[in-house]
Amino acid sequence: MIRNPRFKTRLLTAITAGLALLGVSEHSQAQELYLTGPLAGAPAVRKLRLYRKTRFEIAPAVSFTLLDEYQRTIILGARMQFNFTDWLAVGAWGGWGGLRLPTALTDNIQAVNKQRLTSQAACSDPNTPGCNGVNLTKRLTEVNLSRNLEDQLGGIDWVVTPQVTFTPLRGKLALFQSIYMDTDFYISPGLGIVGLKERKDCDPCAGQFSMVSRTTFAPTIALGLSFYVNKWSALGFEYRALPFAWNGGGFDTAGGGKDNAFPDNKITSADQRFRFNQMMTVSWNFYLPTQYKVSE
Amino acid sequence: MKKSCIGLLIAALGAIPTTGFAQVKVGAKAEAGATLDADAAGAEAGADAKAEGEGEGEGDASAAGEGDLGAEGEGVGDICKIDPAACPVLDMKKEAARPIKESIYAVQQLYVMRARRFEFNPWWNVKSLNDQFVQHTGPGIGINYYITNVLAIGANFRYYSPFNGDSKFNGQVRRAARVAVPLTEYEWGASLDFSYVFANGKFAGFGDFIFEYDAYVLGGVGALSTRPIAVIDPDNRNFEYKPKLAFDVGIGLRIFFTRWFALNVAVKDYGYPEKLESLTVHEVNPGDQSTWLSKSSSLTQNVELQTGFSIFVPFSFDYRLPK
Repeated sequence: MIRNPRFKTRLLTAITAGLALLGVSEHSQAQELYLTGPLAGAPAVRKLRLYRKTRFEIAPAVSFTLLDEYQRTIILGARMQFNFTDWLAVGAWGGWGGLRLPTALTDNIQAVNKQRLTSQAACSDPNTPGCNGVNLTKRLTEVNLSRNLEDQLGGIDWVVTPQVTFTPLRGKLALFQSIYMDTDFYISPGLGIVGLKERKDCDPCAGQFSMVSRTTFAPTIALGLSFYVNKWSALGFEYRALPFAWNGGGFDTAGGGKDNAFPDNKITSADQRFRFNQMMTVSWNFYLPTQYKVSE
Repeated sequence: MKKSCIGLLIAALGAIPTTGFAQVKVGAKAEAGATLDADAAGAEAGADAKAEGEGEGEGDASAAGEGDLGAEGEGVGDICKIDPAACPVLDMKKEAARPIKESIYAVQQLYVMRARRFEFNPWWNVKSLNDQFVQHTGPGIGINYYITNVLAIGANFRYYSPFNGDSKFNGQVRRAARVAVPLTEYEWGASLDFSYVFANGKFAGFGDFIFEYDAYVLGGVGALSTRPIAVIDPDNRNFEYKPKLAFDVGIGLRIFFTRWFALNVAVKDYGYPEKLESLTVHEVNPGDQSTWLSKSSSLTQNVELQTGFSIFVPFSFDYRLPK
């Protein structure tokens, strides 16, 4: 019988590994504490204040969009839900996104755009020396830039998200060892129904900058913390992701060339870019009835 | 040999979490050969119950009640024999059922003591939170020494160079609007920081297990090596990295798996003066390097989301007072 000269070494190593595995499982069992006293079977926390169980929650909220390219949206809204248990609730968050602030990028583009329009006015005759550059730029951007960039920017008009809320973590917080608060952490997956305003499809598009509203659907998930201030109210912070495709700048960026990755001088759905839309929400949560239950 | 080494590796990986957990699981059924002193266990679990501010462990009440009855029964009997007039008349059941109003702390004993321990904190910059044009991701490592339980001094180093991500969006805007936005990329960053733990807390997961966390703020000063990405005149311009003075502030959260190992998530803002690429190109001599940068500096903020781990050394510690 021919044996590999390293057979012994391999065998020893394999046996060592096997013994190590056996040792690990034995050791991990020893980590469990088995109680024989009156605390056997007791929950991890007694007399837990059940802030959510069978209570209705109304939370006026303000949301701020993050990492916006052309304009930030401030969404005024509220979350309403009924908590069947301390860890499960069904409800919805919704809001109106009528407050918008342009980003520095929008301001920069508009400043250049305005300068071009001013220069263009003085160059009514395309044959005037020195006007060609400006006219060329004007022709290259006539599909993409209106007189005022802000007028063509897409935006979120409203959002409604039916959702389920799971609250897996419940705890407490000591601030500077002098302020103590009950807290919880929740996750809210749901369906986002979003009302958008975008640049209307066009072909040809030079000088065509009218807007149109549309509704789109998107998955959404929110992660949040509640800090209970008293028996019936809490301060809430929430992060929400709402990914969907839209044309935020109203630009022609795709639809032509290889893989439709080049402009085609039209505004179509091909110009909608997928964005992982994100926002932070601050809310003040009210719970009804105003008295909470306490666990055993 | 390779396969058996993999076996050993799996065994080692399996061993790490099982030996680390310091939280006890309460409520499992008793098994032969695995008994525990009921008073000790009661004290451990009772601490959690008391810490809720209202809870009084059932085990505490009953165990203490029985102990008191026995002890006082003998003592009272002796007094009554010596001097019957001084014999106290006590309904021991009633006394045992009386609510105890003792001082209760919201967090009775900190799960982790940090004083005079080092914290090694490797992380990954997951996302630049305020830069939609260039993402500055990359690895980083921080080392802190805790002077007290809440105050630490430390240093950290971040490496960005191969991980800067110029978004496709930039090119699309340049093409659509014929407007170029100056962009910047980073090489490395380093800073000296003070950090302060301002909050401690605990979470109960599904009412079954408990884990601890703390929150901290930090601030410091250091350097950030950056350079513009040539977008206005890429044919002629090529920038070198240069370190700049940078200030940083941040806030973070540590979730402890053991008394020496924690998940660490932080948001930090690095502010520094940046000279962006000049928006104008010198018509006569575009290669003149003195014309490549804008004349004035602008304060630039880079807000990063960092996710990593904290490893505290030494791994163990002693409490000054018993629980």
